[in-house]
Amino acid sequence: MMQRRFKLSKPQISKRKAMSFIAKTPGEQVFDIANVFIMAVLCLLTIYPFWYVTIMALNNGQDAATSPIWLWPRKFTLDNFIYVLQYKSLQQAYVVTILRCVIGAILSVFVNMLAAYALSKRFLPGRKAILYFFMMPMFIGGSIISYYVVLVKLGLRNNFLVYVLPGAFAFFTMVLMRTYMEGIPNEIEESAMLDGASYLSIFIRIILPLCKPVMAAFAFFAIVGGWLDLYTNLLFVTKRELFTLQYILYMVIKSSEARNLVDTAMNSELIKRMINERMKAELPTPEVIKMAVMVVVTFPLLFIYPFFQKYFVHGMMVGAIKA
Amino acid sequence: MITTKSVKVGKNRKLYSLYLFLLPSILVTLLFSYLPMFSNYIAFLNYKFSNGWMGLGSPFVGLKNFSFISKQWFWEIAGRTVLYSSTTLLFSFPAPLILALLLNEIKNKTYKRVVQTVSYIPHFISWVTVSGLFYLFLTVDSSGIVNNVLALMGFTDRVSFMQKPELFLPFLVLSQMWKEIGWGTILYLAALTTINPELYEAASIDGASRMKRVWHITLPSLLPTTSILLIFSLGHLFGSNFDQVFNMQNSVIRQYTDTIDIFNYYNGVQNQQYSLSAAVGLFQGLITFVLIMVTNHVTKRVSDTGII
Repeated sequence: MMQRRFKLSKPQISKRKAMSFIAKTPGEQVFDIANVFIMAVLCLLTIYPFWYVTIMALNNGQDAATSPIWLWPRKFTLDNFIYVLQYKSLQQAYVVTILRCVIGAILSVFVNMLAAYALSKRFLPGRKAILYFFMMPMFIGGSIISYYVVLVKLGLRNNFLVYVLPGAFAFFTMVLMRTYMEGIPNEIEESAMLDGASYLSIFIRIILPLCKPVMAAFAFFAIVGGWLDLYTNLLFVTKRELFTLQYILYMVIKSSEARNLVDTAMNSELIKRMINERMKAELPTPEVIKMAVMVVVTFPLLFIYPFFQKYFVHGMMVGAIKA
Repeated sequence: MITTKSVKVGKNRKLYSLYLFLLPSILVTLLFSYLPMFSNYIAFLNYKFSNGWMGLGSPFVGLKNFSFISKQWFWEIAGRTVLYSSTTLLFSFPAPLILALLLNEIKNKTYKRVVQTVSYIPHFISWVTVSGLFYLFLTVDSSGIVNNVLALMGFTDRVSFMQKPELFLPFLVLSQMWKEIGWGTILYLAALTTINPELYEAASIDGASRMKRVWHITLPSLLPTTSILLIFSLGHLFGSNFDQVFNMQNSVIRQYTDTIDIFNYYNGVQNQQYSLSAAVGLFQGLITFVLIMVTNHVTKRVSDTGII
């Protein structure tokens, strides 16, 4: 009531504006302009390589080999992508990779969430021992070769499970989930207990829905990890039907897989029709095929991640504050 | 916030279901962390793959596989590994911090968010792609952009960049920085938001320039985050980023650019010299363990924060 009587004669200045009245030295003004410029250069340096790959992939192969392309496709064509998408190994790799990312993410989120919930109960007997059990491998690791031997002996060589089982549990992930869970008010669980709910139904009906942000963040990380992983395929998979996208890309870049790609793709119906319709069969060069494969393997993830940005930034912040 | 009441929620329920919740994670840890840990034992054997689990059936040879410690070729590789990791650390550790500080000074919120989103892009590509891009830009062929720029500037010879072993380390550092500088700023920027803005205001009123404000307020507030990240990085000095080195290498420079992890892969997995690689891996693990303990101890002394 008291405030009403004294009306300010001048409009109140926002704090930000007030701060800006503290004089900026010329040095600081130069710095601000330079900073904006530096950020712009950074963005350019980041984006241009992807732009370059895209315009190469959209350019005719023979034409690209004659002289360099800088900013725009000189002789536009979708042929390279048509050949690449007709390639059976790539189609199979797409299925394998998407499957492993989705299954791996779901499995990993559940295994970690279950453990996090159980370990959030301080009264659980043996809790400390279990925590140490999980922590030890962080400090004493197995070497690459013992890991390799164990997994092969477990029968995971050329086995789809090798993509999803080893990564199903991660101590750090579990700890972050547990921290989040401990922030859930106890009254919710208590009232469910009073109604006679078991741990399982509390977990499914209460904890899971409330932990959606954290689950989304870690599911996203799991998907990204799965999409980018080359190591597992490199060590444990030699069957072509189980290759992941990164391994196909690796083969295309490092070996003559690009030529192989063109040769096999030519057997597809679509390509045969295409070649018949045009007078001459102008085959894509390996260089542009490599570019097209790179686009097809890399870009899907780049289109997804902005949608998840708010989740993983929040997830990292929780981690930062915990640390 | 955990009250004493909360820890007892559900205490009287049957506990076995909670242990069942823990079963998958315990199994995974046992199979994929502890079993390999114990299988390091094959470093002390003359291991043949066809023999049984964990080397049952292979003859015990004691420390024979560890004779590499006295060989020069090993220390060449080890020295190179430490050189790569320390140089990479030297340049790519401060880079995200500096970028975070710069980003923090951007006034326009939209511009800041756009720059951040763009800077995260290289984090979401694999080292296969990154090395593919490097080779693409640095190729000696007529499409190689860097060589074309050099030609425009008047240099006559085209340089075969990726085949020069002495350029490998700079490329490692550059590629690491390009790839992770954006993503690395997330933690720092998050920590920066926890700094009380009144500190800055008070400092400005007292006449502190921006540099002084950064030096006296921002950096000390970031010390805990920085210390923990530093411990993790220093602890892995004896290792390397397998994906990065593996993809950036090529057959021409391989013999000059192998690190311990790469060596273990080619020798152990490809050439099937299991015992030797296991011994090297075990040795590496031991040194890493010591490094982590030492850096943790030192950091605790200096800045009161540590991971253990």
